[in-house]
Amino acid sequence: MRLGEPARMQAAINITPLVDVVLVLLIIFMVMAPQMRKGPDVNLPNTTKPNSQGDERGRILVSIDEAGGLWINDQPVAAEHFDETLRAAVGAETNPKIVIRGDAKLNFREVREVMIAIEQEGFRGVGLIAKRAGAEGK
Amino acid sequence: MQFNSNDSGSTLQSEINITPLVDVVLVLLIIFMVVVPLLIEGYDVDIPRASADTLPQVAESQLILSIGSAACPILSPPTGEGIPKDCQVTLADQKIPVAELPARVASILGGRPAEQRALFLAVDDRLNYEGVLRIIDLAKSGVEDLKIEFVATN
Repeated sequence: MRLGEPARMQAAINITPLVDVVLVLLIIFMVMAPQMRKGPDVNLPNTTKPNSQGDERGRILVSIDEAGGLWINDQPVAAEHFDETLRAAVGAETNPKIVIRGDAKLNFREVREVMIAIEQEGFRGVGLIAKRAGAEGK
Repeated sequence: MQFNSNDSGSTLQSEINITPLVDVVLVLLIIFMVVVPLLIEGYDVDIPRASADTLPQVAESQLILSIGSAACPILSPPTGEGIPKDCQVTLADQKIPVAELPARVASILGGRPAEQRALFLAVDDRLNYEGVLRIIDLAKSGVEDLKIEFVATN
């Protein structure tokens, strides 16, 4: 390193910080991706053409596991506390959207009972989550 | 930069060329950013207003699809893809094999404006959830923008 040398090197764009930032972003996304699947392991029903359920802003995940146990986001919830827990989860969301992750082995009755409980909190529409046939993921 | 090519040119060559690395990493980043919000897929459905005192008036134009457990015995998760052949559903009081569902729904609702394309579902409680979702999937494949609404089963 002679004096005077660095001034000429400045002519090229220094991309090292760019690489740093991009790598960190990449790592953040790679770490976040599995955590976005909140809640229990649910064996989702296989269908051919499910529609995208929007992004995760305002999304509240209600899971029903194989045994019929209820989960709101990543917390198990007893059936008798479902209403108030859901209300708390909705909280101050401006545009809440409730999606149900039901296990493929469930009877329709168990899903319908949850839908009715959700309706009583004032939600008319829900999303029923499915897995595109052949796709990976839970 | 020609004037000092001897000196700094050879110095630059000794560094790793990170441009391809940046390319690959950026593409990976974009893939992740695009895929993550799409991870969840499903069906939008409406729930009947159970808290209402009076049942809503059933209009002539409402198309009701009933799935009974006797005619369509999907009581455990269907194996493979699709719906078992022996499943029969009742669409607008007509019993039809489930395979005909997309065509029938399309012929009844296809001519209507998009906001009136609604299918009302009466589903037997004992049916398997995956089977129900597959029938919804099949019904939706007939018409675009089909709205699905569950009605209370009696």
